[in-house]
Amino acid sequence: MTQTPKVSITEDQRDCYQEISNVAMGQAADLLARLLDVKVILPIPVVNLIEVNELRMALSGIENSETVSGVCQGFIGNGISGEALLIFNDTSFNDISDLLKYGGAADKSLELELLMDVANILIGACLRGIGEQLDVGFSQGHPVVLGQHVNLNDLVAANNYRWTKTLAIEINYKIEGYNINCDLLLLFAEDAIEVLNRKVNYLLED
Amino acid sequence: MADNSSDNFKEFHSYMGMLQNLDVGLVVLDREYRIQLWNNFMESHSGLHPYEVREKNLFETFPEINEEWFRHKAECVFQLNTRAFTTWEQRPYLFKFKNYRPITGSAEFMYQNITIIPLDSSVGVVERIGIIVYDVTDVAVNRIELKAVNDELKRLSRTDRLTGLYNRGYWQECAEREFKRAQRSGSPISLLMFDIDHFKRVNDEFGHPAGDAAIKNTADQLVMNMRETDIAGRYGGEEYTMLLVDTSAENAKVFADRLREHIASSTVHYQDASFQYTVSMGIAELNDDIKNVDEWIDAADHALYESKEGGRNTVSIFKKS
Repeated sequence: MTQTPKVSITEDQRDCYQEISNVAMGQAADLLARLLDVKVILPIPVVNLIEVNELRMALSGIENSETVSGVCQGFIGNGISGEALLIFNDTSFNDISDLLKYGGAADKSLELELLMDVANILIGACLRGIGEQLDVGFSQGHPVVLGQHVNLNDLVAANNYRWTKTLAIEINYKIEGYNINCDLLLLFAEDAIEVLNRKVNYLLED
Repeated sequence: MADNSSDNFKEFHSYMGMLQNLDVGLVVLDREYRIQLWNNFMESHSGLHPYEVREKNLFETFPEINEEWFRHKAECVFQLNTRAFTTWEQRPYLFKFKNYRPITGSAEFMYQNITIIPLDSSVGVVERIGIIVYDVTDVAVNRIELKAVNDELKRLSRTDRLTGLYNRGYWQECAEREFKRAQRSGSPISLLMFDIDHFKRVNDEFGHPAGDAAIKNTADQLVMNMRETDIAGRYGGEEYTMLLVDTSAENAKVFADRLREHIASSTVHYQDASFQYTVSMGIAELNDDIKNVDEWIDAADHALYESKEGGRNTVSIFKKS
């Protein structure tokens, strides 16, 4: 307890995380495109080391005033633990009945189906993509519905967070021709950052 | 060599024993949705022995499964070689099993979370999928009960105890919201404010409980006459407010007059006493001169004052002076 080294990432490491996310995100977008039979606009992932109470700011892809719906899913592997958050802007759901292959108008339960479908694909594929590059196999917990049609602040209310710092990778997905906007946030726990940095350093040495 | 293979066999055997006794459901399906594996959990809860279900089609064996829904999820796993999770919030269960605690459990059936995993994908083609069934009844029941309690608390915090109308605080919140909405949409909206005439006399003559009965009667008449979209609240002691959405002052007056007459012709019975009373009303339609909700309420209050001056038991519309 005498020394608690401050976690930080260098510019090189940040670039490397960005590159890793890029690859993973592309794979995920490809699957999403196949699931929904649409063209997914490839975003640029944003990598940041943030305080957990700044989580709200990390969700830059989501408009401030809108209500949102979201799920989260925990993951862990080789000492790297974190959570994935998928947050949909509720205005997205206006366009959703067009996309869903269930038929019928988009009501709250259909929205949940889509939310879960997209979460399964994006979170699963992103974690797999990142895991492959870092040589880590991630176990995933069961996803939990954070809320539907709630205020963003309520959704990510910062209560009892045990981590002060988190490595946040934000990926904002958009779908061409539709007003659909969702934010995938991969949050790595503070004690995972050191392990991640070591792994990334290997890649940087090559 | 022989020892080694017998060790392997033992190890395999104990693995199988663990899988069989694991208290989650494990099912393996082939590409045609035929059941390939059925563990002890599934056997116990379904009452079907593995030999009874092996090679049987899942949907024929369990007609309660929504085939379209499950296929959609499973096809993602087959085609995209990725895991799929479903939660009890989407559908309470995949297999309709009884609650694991039939005596003390409050839920009738077992709430389930489902994980679907791709199997046999060594050549890149998913030939089978595995279904893992988790019993999450306790979590689900707690969540549902918590939500019910929270909804009730929310309702209580918004409601006036005596009349069942919205209380002043919540009504004012609604008014702020409707004010903004009307400003955006430009559709007409009117605010009605009214109170009981000579309420002090009712109290003095028949006592406060009788006064409460009059307050309750007024609210009942209001609820009976209002439309579903109208927002009614108890503003103060014997004062009431109401927002009439998509309604001009003239149309609001038609409603208000009808309500006023209903109230005037109703009789309040309290213990041995019976009495009648009247109300005075004021209406203010929202216009560009009104800058906020307080001004709007003031305008309606002004019209109400006019009704009082004009001899009571009447309705006045606010006009710019």
